[in-house]
Amino acid sequence: MKNRIRSSIADSLTSISRIWARNFFLFKRAWLVSAFWIVLEPLFILGALGYGLGSYVTTINGRPYVDFFFPALLCNSSMFVAFFVSTYDNFSKLTYQRTYLTQILTPIEPNEIVLGEILWGATKGTMSAIGVSIIAMFFGLVDPVTILPAFLVIFISSAVFAALGMIVTTMVHNYEQIIYPSSGIIIPMSLFCGTFFPVESLPIGIKQAIYLLPLTHSVSAVRSLLLNGFEWTVLLHSLILIILLVVLTRIAIRRLAGKLLN
Amino acid sequence: MKTVVEAKGLVKQFADKLVVEGINLEIHRGECFGILGPNGAGKTTTMKMMYCSSLVSSGELYVLGLNVKKNHREIKARIGVIPQEDGLDVDFTAKENLLIYSSYYNIDKQVAARRVDELLRLVRLEEDKDKFIHELSGGMRRRLAIARGMINQPELLFLDEPTAGLDPQARVWIWEFLRKIKAEMGTLIITTHYMEEAEQLCDRIALMDHGKVLSVGTPKELIAKYIGKEVVEFECSQKDLNYYLNRLRELGYKYQVIGRMVNIYILPEQEGKKVFDLISSPRMTIRRPTLNDVFLSLAGQYLHEEFM
Repeated sequence: MKNRIRSSIADSLTSISRIWARNFFLFKRAWLVSAFWIVLEPLFILGALGYGLGSYVTTINGRPYVDFFFPALLCNSSMFVAFFVSTYDNFSKLTYQRTYLTQILTPIEPNEIVLGEILWGATKGTMSAIGVSIIAMFFGLVDPVTILPAFLVIFISSAVFAALGMIVTTMVHNYEQIIYPSSGIIIPMSLFCGTFFPVESLPIGIKQAIYLLPLTHSVSAVRSLLLNGFEWTVLLHSLILIILLVVLTRIAIRRLAGKLLN
Repeated sequence: MKTVVEAKGLVKQFADKLVVEGINLEIHRGECFGILGPNGAGKTTTMKMMYCSSLVSSGELYVLGLNVKKNHREIKARIGVIPQEDGLDVDFTAKENLLIYSSYYNIDKQVAARRVDELLRLVRLEEDKDKFIHELSGGMRRRLAIARGMINQPELLFLDEPTAGLDPQARVWIWEFLRKIKAEMGTLIITTHYMEEAEQLCDRIALMDHGKVLSVGTPKELIAKYIGKEVVEFECSQKDLNYYLNRLRELGYKYQVIGRMVNIYILPEQEGKKVFDLISSPRMTIRRPTLNDVFLSLAGQYLHEEFM
């Protein structure tokens, strides 16, 4: 019995890695396009807001604005990448391309597709943060050692948004409808979750509500790590992200399985 | 083990619709088994339950001796499926499609590379192996999908409408190919609504309509059982129709009216020529019965309504 469970876990991990590997194979071929989107775009934002706008704001909580903003930029861009990969790309795979319907003809099961795709979304989101950080290193914005644990938080955070994207993928009926969650949830998060200004400056009530949103926890944790080093609150924020990830993943699995095995 | 698929009281119920209504089937190793019926008969759904892409609502279904409700991963590892909509991965070339698919089965890379080359040769896509899917013709895509379905050397191959939408040449090639792989590999299960395809390929056939299996047997058996030895076909006007039908009934002939055509099924003990004395129609022929006649006679009532 124990052996059987172990071998079925091994089978699952193999399947999950295959889903990931298919995407990676495609990514390798068109990496320049991806690099433009996931790295260059955030760098433009960094230039315009971190340095451009930042030169007027000068300091927040006693720090240069660009230092305050940079951790949020990493979280923002990895969120966008993970969410959009998980929605636009995966909606095609679920519908027009019939990729998932074909994958379940093999030993791969729907839950493994979901896990593989979330893993891929998290990977690509993290790649964005790593790419931006490498370039920012040359501007003295990043210390190559202290940023490593931040990438772990960004990976978990990206996974949360990939899982959310997967749920969206199973709910929308066409590409246009992806606008609802992206303009309704993702964009507001990228503006209000302590990204461009501290959560503390929001009015009471809204401030508390903002803590219900996952990006607030990603930004808080990454900012702590980059500005103050390790603090216990980092674990708390990470734990909240992990709980969210588990819940959203389970919903995504149930929904996709229902779509594929009707 | 002789039986590769066994269905007992198999039911598929969608939210508001009963699609498969308690069918029983037994499919044997080494045969080409056809599930035949018009669109909407429930053939594809039945087959989907067998290859574990659709959940069984009730009843029992065993594939290769394994329960589809519990052992789907193991079943899927040992079967091959060529769905009607091929689902080829448009992001990759023909060869990459096969390689990626082999990774889903966790086939060793070197083994897979060898097998992919072999399959590309077998389906004559060697020259086109580096083309993307949109650069391939319909026939080539179908051949690639068949190769993909064989990548894990399956014991049992499912084909859903294998030649739907193909030109006659491509169709004949696929028939020939399927005969060849059946001889080498074993068991094929196909769905089709082309009677000709069923007669060409299938050792045994289940005729399905409205979610039920109407009859199972070899094409010959089905023809002998439901039609007889020959068919007389004639066209007549609406005003003569009733007269002729009354006469046919009196003389004990089985017949079927389809639009303005009447098919008379001549049983072994009856004389086909006698009908010629009875009926005067400029368009009257006598011919050998086909599965088409079996189907029309079994599902006739319903088709009759549709065509009128």
